[in-house]
Amino acid sequence: MHRYEKAVLEALRKGGAASLEKLTESSGIGRDEALWAIESLSKERMVETTRSESSEAALTEEGRRYAAEGLPESKLLKRLRESTVKVSALRGQEEQIGLQWAKKNGLIRITEGNIMLTEKGVTDAEEGVPAGNVLVQLSGDPGSYGVASKSSPEELSELTKRNLIQVRKRARITEVRLTQKGMDAALTEKAGEGVGALTKSMIASGEWKGKKFKQYDVGVPVTPRVGGRLHPLYRMMENIRRSYVSNGFIEVNGPVIDSAFWVFDALFQPQDHPARDAQDTFYLSGIDEAELGEKEYVRQIKNAHTRGWHYRWSTETAKEMVLRTHTTNVSAHYIFDIFSKIGDESVNLELPLKFFSLGRVFRNENIDYRHLADFYQTDGIVIGKDLTLANLFDTLLKLYAWLGTEIRFKPSYFPFVEPGVEVYAYSSELKEWIEIGGAGLLRREITGFKRKTMNVLAWGGFGDRLMQVKPGCGIRSITELYGNSLEWTRGRGGMTQCLL
Amino acid sequence: MDKRKRRNDPMPVITIDKKYLKSLTEPELSDEKLTERIGKLGLNVEAIDEKEISVEVTSNRPDILGALGLARAFNHFFHKSTKFHYQINDEAPLLEITVGGGVRRIRPYIASLAASGVKFDEVSLTGFLNGIEKFTETYGRARKKIAIGLHDMDKIEAPLRYDACGSERFVPLNSKEEMTYDQALRDTDKGRKYADTIPRAGPKRFPVLKDRKGALALIPIINSERTKVTTDTKNILVDITGMSEYLVGKTADLIAANFIDTGASVRKVQIVYRNKSVITPQLTTDTVGVPVSMLEREIGVEIGVNNVAALAEKMGYETSYTGNVVNFKIPTYRFDVINEQDIVEDIAIAYGYDYIRPVPVRNVTPGAIDTLALFRDSLANAAAGLGFDQMMNSYLSNDQTNFTMMRLSIEKSAVRIRNPKSESITIMRTSLLPSLLKNIAASQNVPSPLECFELDMVFHMRDGKPKEDYHIAAVSAGSKSDFNSIKAVYESVAKEAGLESKLEAATHPSFIEGRCAKIVSKGKGVGFLGEIHPEVLNNFGIEEPTAALEIEL
Repeated sequence: MHRYEKAVLEALRKGGAASLEKLTESSGIGRDEALWAIESLSKERMVETTRSESSEAALTEEGRRYAAEGLPESKLLKRLRESTVKVSALRGQEEQIGLQWAKKNGLIRITEGNIMLTEKGVTDAEEGVPAGNVLVQLSGDPGSYGVASKSSPEELSELTKRNLIQVRKRARITEVRLTQKGMDAALTEKAGEGVGALTKSMIASGEWKGKKFKQYDVGVPVTPRVGGRLHPLYRMMENIRRSYVSNGFIEVNGPVIDSAFWVFDALFQPQDHPARDAQDTFYLSGIDEAELGEKEYVRQIKNAHTRGWHYRWSTETAKEMVLRTHTTNVSAHYIFDIFSKIGDESVNLELPLKFFSLGRVFRNENIDYRHLADFYQTDGIVIGKDLTLANLFDTLLKLYAWLGTEIRFKPSYFPFVEPGVEVYAYSSELKEWIEIGGAGLLRREITGFKRKTMNVLAWGGFGDRLMQVKPGCGIRSITELYGNSLEWTRGRGGMTQCLL
Repeated sequence: MDKRKRRNDPMPVITIDKKYLKSLTEPELSDEKLTERIGKLGLNVEAIDEKEISVEVTSNRPDILGALGLARAFNHFFHKSTKFHYQINDEAPLLEITVGGGVRRIRPYIASLAASGVKFDEVSLTGFLNGIEKFTETYGRARKKIAIGLHDMDKIEAPLRYDACGSERFVPLNSKEEMTYDQALRDTDKGRKYADTIPRAGPKRFPVLKDRKGALALIPIINSERTKVTTDTKNILVDITGMSEYLVGKTADLIAANFIDTGASVRKVQIVYRNKSVITPQLTTDTVGVPVSMLEREIGVEIGVNNVAALAEKMGYETSYTGNVVNFKIPTYRFDVINEQDIVEDIAIAYGYDYIRPVPVRNVTPGAIDTLALFRDSLANAAAGLGFDQMMNSYLSNDQTNFTMMRLSIEKSAVRIRNPKSESITIMRTSLLPSLLKNIAASQNVPSPLECFELDMVFHMRDGKPKEDYHIAAVSAGSKSDFNSIKAVYESVAKEAGLESKLEAATHPSFIEGRCAKIVSKGKGVGFLGEIHPEVLNNFGIEEPTAALEIEL
């Protein structure tokens, strides 16, 4: 007899019967272990159990999504409350689903291609679609299935049919009783043959010599250990860092809160550019205006803007404080630093200089499960003589080699580089090319390097997005990465293997 | 997530009738080939279906923001067109527009051109107008910077005048009734959309282009119904207004080139300012000389002097040679070519990024991780080793979460967002604990103890300047999570971090009184630890006793 079985019998011997919880507590073994022992003892007819059955509804992935954002037909109703919608305007798959169910449940009617709310539709738009309400309730409390099966059977059958929930029967052990056979066994059974647990004194005294060890059942269930672990995204960033360093780059840091000058102006982004709009960039209040720094550099930037973009450049606009929208502000600070050292005899610049930075960047967005306001980026620069587009390609290919996927370059435009490059990586997960960054040779209007042979390779990359690209990570949507719950981190196994 | 939102420089997307585009380029081309070839130009095909094609155009190429421009670039690139030079044979201006002093402070510059013998059908007219609309929306910054109006020239009676006018009446485009300018701003869709492109302050005077009969357009808001352009229109007058004389002039050059490409003939217009007179369009072209050695040095490939001309033609440049320097004639419709760097890019695109062989940067350099980043990494590993899962929460928060739910009074000195879109994002977090408590609340379906930590940035204001610090915080929730359990974590973390510190009994609104300690290092408070106050637990919806610590690093 296994020691878990022995423990259960021993615990039952006193009262003859006990609830599972009680039994687990008094036997001193875990719940899973106790369940295994009870199962095994029942087969031997040493214990009997009373079980009760209940049902529970588990949400499918689609169901969970709808519970969070609403059923597709609810979204349609919401739109219809604002204005009429044409059938032809509904093209997405989800919109089609919404249309179909709204029609089926008599929430809408379609006249000459226009969708209109029925009376029932108006009520549901106001109070929520019944199936949707039940879904939300189930997502909060799977056990509420029992109540719902009486109050809303139709909705439940709809949800099941739509594969938004899966109903599981759950048998629970309410009581465990000792049989006569069990009682006899408890009194007479010696727990197997041989030595049980090896003790410290047995090891010291050598008492174990010549003794036989009791054989354990290797099939006995255990609860897996959960240790603490680093966040997958953090480990991703570590990989990026390692890749830069092994390619000879030095890590540098810069401010998260910076003036518009360093985030935009120094990167040749005109002051009326839509990305600088309050709709896209977080502006801060209550902060002293930034000092723009070296007059000569500010004048150089001002001239570049005036000549390149044909408008009146404003110092005031450049002084506003923002949350950086890319880590390129760090590169801008370092390029200026190097620029100011050129010509200084006392400084020995050993070219090429290679810098990188990692950090958070921000976009003014309404956050929901699909949109984030802050995420990770990396930036890198190489400052040197006679650097070429071919050098840039080689550098990026080496930096991204660890991803183990194909990389491709396409022409593109960013105000501060010329030529400009978009970097794509192939995601075998999504079966498509994903843009992972932008790159190019910095414009001389920004570097200010007078010598035509001095130039700068620069690039910025999405940090988090690389997880979609790295084979084996199994990340389809970036928002998934920001799952900040222990359920998510513990469920997110296998990262050690994929983040090689 | 929307891909374009993630770029710092979102790019415009144009949608064109597919058959129309093919008729302007290669009628027999398959959709796949068309997509592939547009990709070679450095543009992205976003979508293509039975009827339409959507192309993402890089924002430095306003000349491509329409079917004609895209076709022009395409035909050059694939050697289907050798039309590099645009000119107007008849130098004499057809018309005159007098500019009054009233617009000087509102919208000072106007350029114009006249196109005759115009032949538009439904599709090509829509294509032409869409191109103009896209141009003024994006490059023209929703008409603030540049606006363009088209008029049926046969309905116009000279003389033309551009000036600020008081309230007069006209029938706005697609309207049936007469309105004052003020009404047009209020009662038409375009009026409401573009009302803020003209200054509101001051006496009510509006920039208006008018002829003998009255307003042709309330600029840059809406044209008049009287001079509406339809498929029957034979002759068109174009007005371009804006804040920069150079840009309205260049825009006139671009539109002139577009009209010439449709087969129309273009005439010039004289603009008479109070102190000078100019003629538009000028169809200017600059020439930039680039040594072949510079092209090769920046791209990193051997091109060869003789091959440059062919590559240049693909991008629409006419070239001539002065020794080893290639003189590039910048097409009149290009706005973006500032100097030789822009030409280097065009030649690289023509050469093909796919054909540029990667070449290593010479010289080995030593790499290095930032020392503080190394320290933080080491500490994060230690915290994970203690059984805590790492969280990575948003740096953005709000008063409710960051202060009120923690039983703290709202700190005015938090770094505040001036333009929040929602109530959930109004400040930069000042502490890590609130988000960790949210993480615990979201984790209650896993077996306790629930233990997590975060090591990342928090923000404060000090003397009017933002301060960016790193903190470490750890939270443990479960029946055995008490003061001593979190103190044990502190001992270990402090030792690992080399933090010389001691604990002093303290009170903190977020913790239970008598079960809270301040962490003091070198006489300075650097953090707190203790059992979280049950009211805080209620606020976050946490069911188990919870202990926590937060330390400034």
